[in-house]
Amino acid sequence: MRYDAIVIGGGHNGLVTAAYLARAGKKVLVLERRPRVGGAAVTEEIFPGFKFSMFSYVVSLLRPEIIRDLDLPRHGLHILPLESTVTPMENGNYLAAWADHDETRRELYRHSPRDAEAYDEYGRLMHFMAQAVKPILSMVPPDPTSFAPGDLAGLLKLGKHFRGLGGERLHALVKLMTMSSADFLDEWFETDVLKATKSASGIIGTFLGPRSPGTAYVLLHHYMGELDGVFRAWGFAKGGTGAVSEAIASAARAFGAEIRCDAPVAKVTVRSGTATGVVLENGDEISARTVVSSLDPRRTFLQLLETDQLPPEFVADIKRFKFRGSSGKVNLALDALPSFTCMPGLGRQHRGAFSISPSLDYVEHAYDDAKYGEFSRRPYMDIVFPSMIDPGMAPPGKHVMSIFVQYAPYHLNGGWTDATREAFGDAVVNTVECFAPGFKSHILHRQVLTPLDIERITGLSEGNIFAGELSLHQLFFLRPAPGWAKFATPVRGFYQSGSGTHPGGGIMGASGRLAALRILKDGGGR
Amino acid sequence: MTQSRYDAIVIGAGVNGLVAAHYLARAGRRVLVVEREPNLDPALDIGWVPPQVVRELDLERHGVRFTQPDPWIAAPLEGGGRLELWRDLGRSVDAIRRFSPADAAQWPDFCARMRKLATVLERLYVAPPPDIESRDPRELARIAGLGLYVRRLGKQTIIDLARVLPMSIAELLDDWFESDALKGVLGAVGVWHLKQGPRSGGTAFNFLHHHAGSPIGVFRPPVSNIKAVLLELPGIEVLRGQEAMPVHGPDGHLIGVVLGPRGDTIDAPLVVTSADPRAAFEHVKPDLDPEFVRAIGNIKCRGVVAKGMLVWQGPTGFTNLCVAPSLDYLERAYDAAKYGRDSERPYVELRGEDGHIEVHVQYVPFSNGGSNAEQHRALRAAVVGVLAPHVPEIKAAESRLVLKCPDQLEQTEGHLYHGELTLDQILFMRPVPGWSRYRTPLEGLYLCGAGTHPGGGIAGAAGRNAARVILKETKRS
Repeated sequence: MRYDAIVIGGGHNGLVTAAYLARAGKKVLVLERRPRVGGAAVTEEIFPGFKFSMFSYVVSLLRPEIIRDLDLPRHGLHILPLESTVTPMENGNYLAAWADHDETRRELYRHSPRDAEAYDEYGRLMHFMAQAVKPILSMVPPDPTSFAPGDLAGLLKLGKHFRGLGGERLHALVKLMTMSSADFLDEWFETDVLKATKSASGIIGTFLGPRSPGTAYVLLHHYMGELDGVFRAWGFAKGGTGAVSEAIASAARAFGAEIRCDAPVAKVTVRSGTATGVVLENGDEISARTVVSSLDPRRTFLQLLETDQLPPEFVADIKRFKFRGSSGKVNLALDALPSFTCMPGLGRQHRGAFSISPSLDYVEHAYDDAKYGEFSRRPYMDIVFPSMIDPGMAPPGKHVMSIFVQYAPYHLNGGWTDATREAFGDAVVNTVECFAPGFKSHILHRQVLTPLDIERITGLSEGNIFAGELSLHQLFFLRPAPGWAKFATPVRGFYQSGSGTHPGGGIMGASGRLAALRILKDGGGR
Repeated sequence: MTQSRYDAIVIGAGVNGLVAAHYLARAGRRVLVVEREPNLDPALDIGWVPPQVVRELDLERHGVRFTQPDPWIAAPLEGGGRLELWRDLGRSVDAIRRFSPADAAQWPDFCARMRKLATVLERLYVAPPPDIESRDPRELARIAGLGLYVRRLGKQTIIDLARVLPMSIAELLDDWFESDALKGVLGAVGVWHLKQGPRSGGTAFNFLHHHAGSPIGVFRPPVSNIKAVLLELPGIEVLRGQEAMPVHGPDGHLIGVVLGPRGDTIDAPLVVTSADPRAAFEHVKPDLDPEFVRAIGNIKCRGVVAKGMLVWQGPTGFTNLCVAPSLDYLERAYDAAKYGRDSERPYVELRGEDGHIEVHVQYVPFSNGGSNAEQHRALRAAVVGVLAPHVPEIKAAESRLVLKCPDQLEQTEGHLYHGELTLDQILFMRPVPGWSRYRTPLEGLYLCGAGTHPGGGIAGAAGRNAARVILKETKRS
């Protein structure tokens, strides 16, 4: 049996690649190591009756063209909006951002009339900047070192695009790309808690603090998510993030793709410089004209291939590609919702997020711990209660609580053990307890995931949730390596389509789609 | 209307101010330089002087001397002894091999790669920054020329430029080296005058910036007596001990400078200030575009360096001594500054000069900065504590160590570079976006100091660039 294309890895990007190839009439096989598709976008019933978006838990940037092309709503995709963010402060006060713009403005006014004034202007600039950057997400990065006409044309187009923004916005873009989120926000706002909660979104998935340059541009992501015309694409998937993967898998199957779970791939077979198929861990060989890996770059090149099949400088570049996982996740089953000191009782606040980022110094201190190899004793946390939005996630009257935690360095001093994992879990729940006294007594079950657990379960190297850090020197034509950012690899017939390629990061699917388009353009799988 | 005695007034007799003044004078302008300090600072000037400045002002004939000591740095090693790095690559390799053969093997390649990148910066620094908004065909041609120049340097250099500049110095050095001592010595330059630690993005750029003009394998800028030479050079008039600010008349046009808060006005159609941009517009601010004023106010110039001086008789046993034993040491020193405290164990570098030692202490943040006597004593004790294991004689000299903290420096927030050299404040973003060509919104007023391109640590480049722009834009009537 010979396939046109084999896709290694059934995460959302692998599935998107498979769906697009199948849609073009190719005979496609997806091979997934785990018993279910989704990779880091999975929903699992970890405790009886309690379902969790085990790793990735919000849908923000899923490309509208993918939703359209694959007709995902018909395959069960349903996004429920995430309405608000409440940031409790250490003095018992809070800062809230609500779905209603005017209400948010009034709330800001309570903290600082000046910031409330600046907020609208800031929002306008960020919306515009997000629009300006968006085309880049759907673009194959041109290679600035190449003299090929296609690359030169691409560079010229890029240059024109940016010059077209005009001076002021171009300068804002340079600032966003190079500044720390704290410095960038300092130019706009004076309220510390506002800067803290906003800059916290800039550190997610990075091994950087809010005062580290390079964190500002992630501020844009939030505005990209809110913008998409199709619907408000910032929210929860009904049924958890696993439902996103299931919808894409269902679309792929409908186009004729075959998806095989419990099928770990050991190696890509290469004959005279061309990929010919794969060998499974059980020894089975499957051949195909084209092989695509949606695994991260380290596993794609250093595990699925032998290094002598690749140019040495390319191997050196891939070895240098940085992962440094820094995030953990704590999933809790609760018998009742916690009441937060700053906003006592139960209410609409529980349908949104709680951001534990009471001050810039608090988040920066959390980073300091991680820099020297410890988990944050008082971590930054992003807390949501998915059962409040989608009651199907927990038994009646009970709740699930998802806590995204930073920082938990992959390279912990002394290494991660069962004991350090539990100590980390304790630090998390004890910190929540400070803001919501009595919360601990409602915990029925607790699952703690360290970066090492994330690596073990999903395969993401060093537990990096973006399949490689999204730092400036690992973006665009440098992702994952200079000269190889256009989804092809040094091995003929072997392609890459994971988040470790441009543009990477989040449940976006852009990498998977661009890779499929590249393969089809190359005539792959003919 | 009376005729002005001067065609141009230059504020500040630092290297950039003096260089700008001499270029204007050589073009036939009558120039007065006004300097606040009554006396000349005896310290030598740190930083690369572009060869164009030396040649065009004929400085060699007037006695300019550059010194780059050899070894250019000595760093105490953990288990005793010193790491000494030399101008001679082979000699450095031998020195490094004693504790890390792997690092020794990397040294020549690393030095060659860094030299090549610094060459690109050197080329960018001796001209005004590329104006990426321009529609002027000449400027577009110049940008295209720069692009071609970089492309000719080869694929590796383009990739290095894109990869290395936004990196942290820690990531760059970790890519190449294993030994803490070597990474500490190199990493220290990456954080010079930045309120950032070695793990912060953009510090690799700062490292390269300070490599500009140095020979291959030397990662400390040269020092020179250029300021003293420029002061002796005929052609300009210098007025010392007077603080000057640009002023405009009732109609909003620049009329010259005012001396002191209520002092005399000296008329001139052209005022060139090497003061830092945050301070330069003090007297004219209300009449400027509020967007410009906001941008100026947003310049990051958070001073973190205390400068020290220690009178020293007899041999020092070193020329340059660097105490920054590892990247983590530097990072921890920075941690304190993040929260507004002086480093408990600061990064300290000493440079021996004739009869005294120049001291660089980092991090000493502005607004804490040892401003009261007690903090000052604590800082001095910390500096001596860090040095004592390596320079035992320092203990006896503690009382003679004079430290000037950012609070005590004249520049805004005590930042000696008039603006941090972070990626958002260089090239066409320096001093503020849209105004990187030395001109200001007030006609006739120009900037020429370290706050403009290419920034601090490069002596005279901004002054020359500014003067050339001024001469082009202000044809004599």
